[in-house]
Amino acid sequence: MPEDAKLQDAVAEVVAALTGRTVSERETLISSGMIDSLSILRLIAMLEKKLGVIIPTESLQPDDFDSIALIVETVQRVSRPAG
Amino acid sequence: MPFNSYPYLGCLALAVLVYWQLPHRLRGFYLLLVSVLYYGTWNPNHIVIPLSLCLLVWLISRPMTAPQANPRRWMWLGIGLVLLVLGFFKYRHFFLQASGSVLAPLDVQPVALAAGVGLPLGISFYSFEAISYLIDSRQRRIARPPLLQLCNFVMFWPHLMAGPIVRVRELVPQLLEARTFRPGFLIAGLDRILWGLVQKNAIANPIGRWVEEGLQPERLPTTADAWFLAIGFGFQIYFDFAGYSNMAIGAGRMLGIEFPQNFRFPFHASAPPDFWARWHMTLSRWVRDYLFFPINARFQGAPLPLYLSLLGIMALVGLWHGAGWGFVLWGMAHGAAMVLFRIYESLASEGIRSSLAARVGWRVFTLLVVTVAWVPFRAENLSQAAELLQTMFFGLVPGLALPSRFYQATVLVAVFCGFEPLLVRFLEWLESGAAQQDRRRSVALVLVRCVTYACAVLLFMIFDEQETEFIYFRF
Repeated sequence: MPEDAKLQDAVAEVVAALTGRTVSERETLISSGMIDSLSILRLIAMLEKKLGVIIPTESLQPDDFDSIALIVETVQRVSRPAG
Repeated sequence: MPFNSYPYLGCLALAVLVYWQLPHRLRGFYLLLVSVLYYGTWNPNHIVIPLSLCLLVWLISRPMTAPQANPRRWMWLGIGLVLLVLGFFKYRHFFLQASGSVLAPLDVQPVALAAGVGLPLGISFYSFEAISYLIDSRQRRIARPPLLQLCNFVMFWPHLMAGPIVRVRELVPQLLEARTFRPGFLIAGLDRILWGLVQKNAIANPIGRWVEEGLQPERLPTTADAWFLAIGFGFQIYFDFAGYSNMAIGAGRMLGIEFPQNFRFPFHASAPPDFWARWHMTLSRWVRDYLFFPINARFQGAPLPLYLSLLGIMALVGLWHGAGWGFVLWGMAHGAAMVLFRIYESLASEGIRSSLAARVGWRVFTLLVVTVAWVPFRAENLSQAAELLQTMFFGLVPGLALPSRFYQATVLVAVFCGFEPLLVRFLEWLESGAAQQDRRRSVALVLVRCVTYACAVLLFMIFDEQETEFIYFRF
């Protein structure tokens, strides 16, 4: 798992690739309609690939991905190294 | 006692007045008492159902959080029991009719037996809230609340009968917070209640009366009438349910409680999934979080499970509205439209997707699907739905046979819906100016509020039709 600042940068990069724009740390993604629930699945796949981790989804809800800050917190909380 | 009746409005004023006089420690008991009394005005025998459901999920959530427990097993037991209660009260006719032929030789008439127990109002809504409590507890998102607050979460009267469908983490912290009275609570609440009354009594009810008249079984509508009736019903159900939701949100605000929004200009949807991000938003959110997301996360968003889940989930959403094939067809039509959009998204290039023609095309297609899907939802039975669809698409029957005011009202409401986002943005602009101490915008806001209140009261008095129940109370 990368350190906090690197993780935040990596998440911001993935979110920018998905939304096509730079998004601030606290800007809402789902409640603002920027991404939908299907995009979250793509976001999870992209994060897993970029960070080399597995993000188990069984205890997660879309709200856990509603901003870059929340995504970072979620990844830190539930992810485990791949392989 | 419906929200749009004078007795309710009088009782609401009294309930709010007493609430703010009470010390914080008594407010929880008071809210539950008022909620139980309110529910009892519909059918006192049914009070025990939501109370028992609260006790059931509260008891089950206890071992879920205990060490050594198997929380998943307890969660499924709880969900199973909640669905059993919902199934018994809401779908027993459906199943008993199907089992009628099996029981016929025993001379047992199951439908007649089942008819003795009516449908407890709001059961679809509070069952879903109970399930969300169990899942959120299992996922350790919430601390187990005291029983009193769990009962208030489920039974708090403004949202008990037809939502908004809330979460424990949204409502319980607000109920536990010791708030002091602010006049802003009353103003914000009254704004919503008055607008809700106008939506329900001055728009939904008159249009509903004409729709009812046009759909009498003995009447064969013309092609134009069939289209107008489908569009008219779309407006009726929108203003009926949005009106109810606004009155629920308004009642909550008067007590200092904020509910989530339920509608956001649904007729401005850019595509079928966007419609569901704007229509009955709290149900969409429930479905997204507890069905769509877990199912598709398991299959990592693969296309075939995605399409099948969209169809299946939307059929269930239809069935949630009522035990009838018309509701299932309505849900599946929306599901099919969403599948079509997802296929298009996966195939179309960025250039095509961002073109004006594609964007306009999807908006028109969404409105068309939404309108046509109301036909099986509203028709008395499937054969009437088939007749209407045949008239709308294949058999041209000329003429206009309904009162001319119906067509005028439908067109007027359509124009209003077109401008609704602009009006709301203008009001928000005035409100933000008032909040920033902008004198001109503050004065303008006071004037606009006075004129709007006067118009709303006038409309409410002219079109006062309180006896018409809210459509979503049936679900």
